Amino acid sequence: MLRDRFDQLMIVALVGVLIFTAVLMAGAGPRDDNHDAQAANRRFEREMLHQARVAFIERHYSPVITLRDNGSLPDALLKLEELSRTLPGEAHNDLLSGDILLRMGQFDRAISKLAKAVKSNADYVDSVSPLSQRPLIESAVSEGLPLIRDRLRVQPDNLTLAKVLKDGYYLQSRLAGGCE
Amino acid sequence: MSLSLRDRHLWIVLAAGAGLGVLGALLSVWGNPQNSGICVSCFIENTSGALGLHDNERMQYLRPELIGFVLGSILCASLFREFRSRGGSAPLVRLVSGVFLIVGSAVFIGCPIKLFLRLTAGDISSLAGLLGLIAGVWVGLQGLARGVDLGRAEDERGATGLLVPAGFVLLLIFLLARPSFLLFSDRGSAAQHAPLFMSLAVGLLLGVLAQRSRFCITGSVRDGLLMGTRSPLLWGFFAFLIGAFVTNIIMGRFTFGLYGQPGAHLEYLWSFLGMLLVGWLSVLIGGCPFRQLIKAGEGDADAGLAVVGMLLGGGLVQSWGVAATAAGVATSGKISVLVGLAFVLLISLLFRDRTA
Repeated sequence: MLRDRFDQLMIVALVGVLIFTAVLMAGAGPRDDNHDAQAANRRFEREMLHQARVAFIERHYSPVITLRDNGSLPDALLKLEELSRTLPGEAHNDLLSGDILLRMGQFDRAISKLAKAVKSNADYVDSVSPLSQRPLIESAVSEGLPLIRDRLRVQPDNLTLAKVLKDGYYLQSRLAGGCE
Repeated sequence: MSLSLRDRHLWIVLAAGAGLGVLGALLSVWGNPQNSGICVSCFIENTSGALGLHDNERMQYLRPELIGFVLGSILCASLFREFRSRGGSAPLVRLVSGVFLIVGSAVFIGCPIKLFLRLTAGDISSLAGLLGLIAGVWVGLQGLARGVDLGRAEDERGATGLLVPAGFVLLLIFLLARPSFLLFSDRGSAAQHAPLFMSLAVGLLLGVLAQRSRFCITGSVRDGLLMGTRSPLLWGFFAFLIGAFVTNIIMGRFTFGLYGQPGAHLEYLWSFLGMLLVGWLSVLIGGCPFRQLIKAGEGDADAGLAVVGMLLGGGLVQSWGVAATAAGVATSGKISVLVGLAFVLLISLLFRDRTA
């Protein structure tokens, strides 16, 4: 190294580039860095989207929740059916269906609906999410799985029930945590 | 040659194995996802996400453990004068192998270290992966015995071996300075993490131990198949299993069963094939994903390229929906594993020295 003019030029240029980089980095404080503003915007948008989703769900599904809380479970299911036509594929529809079916004692259908909801939106098993429904899902799994296992013992060829059991194990696994 | 308890290297291997097992289980207690105290493939996927290589908002975090592994390795290698810039052994093949290491791991849901962390936490659904890993290592060894060889790495000029460790120094700076372009999940498994400096310290310690001992999961399986109980790595592997098992029991993290395990699915064939791919590739490129990080820290530019491939793979498996979930393995995941197996079969055909 540094044997000839070319090496020396390279070293000088390298030092210059490094100093220039350091100066730029030092000058780019958090307040005047455009990227920081973009990141803050991105975080804000993410949070806003999340809150908007929660508000959207509350607004659209509040009639269902009222009917459910009043004990009009079949009416609540009918209302959900109606909403599923205007909001097709919405995970909250499956979640509430699962909730209502669980209250009606239809464990197999409830578990399948809850599994479908969690597959679409994992926030339902996330304890820190405002959408978290862990207690509901935990109770579906703890009450429903033993019953489904018992029924499957009597009807080992029932493929529909076997699929429900698989959905139950899926929910159990998601509740247990781990990497996604 | 038999093992001697006076052999210092044996004790270093035992310390590395036990350290990896105990700390791997403890990191889950300290905040990392359940059964994923250390999972190189999950951490790589998290890191790729943090760098913006995929947009899964639940899988973005710059995992300090990975940085610790590489920097611990380079510190130790430099201290013991083992740092040597080397490379040039089928670099592109190693890069693509790095991608497929992550594909196989993502379909199983975990690297070989996590496989055993899952097993020692009572998750017997991981047995299919274990069989796959052993089969993959065995097939890889059969290939090596019949002349499959990617070629020798040569000493390289220009300190190319410093490039990947330098990249990880940059990641450390990013982690501490948190520039705006980095992405961090606020929910999902990437939001679950041990305190930063604790993770970094554990990573550094394990990086040092792994560099000194050359400990690696697939290497242990390989040496166990080749040398039986005379292999120090096999004893290190047993220390790893015992360490993780005892820690999981003490910490109340042991749940024996097949169903409802954290981060696990029930598609055994694909767990088997995913780990078969990982085991086979690991034999061909000289180590599991963890070992590639350690070797990259020792100046091995080929391993460094595998690490770059792993980061790329981490982005791809999330963006293309290749990674399995508790719901099972998507078709894209199944196809990717088969493409990976086709790749490793081709390598075995094209890189075979038939003159011997």
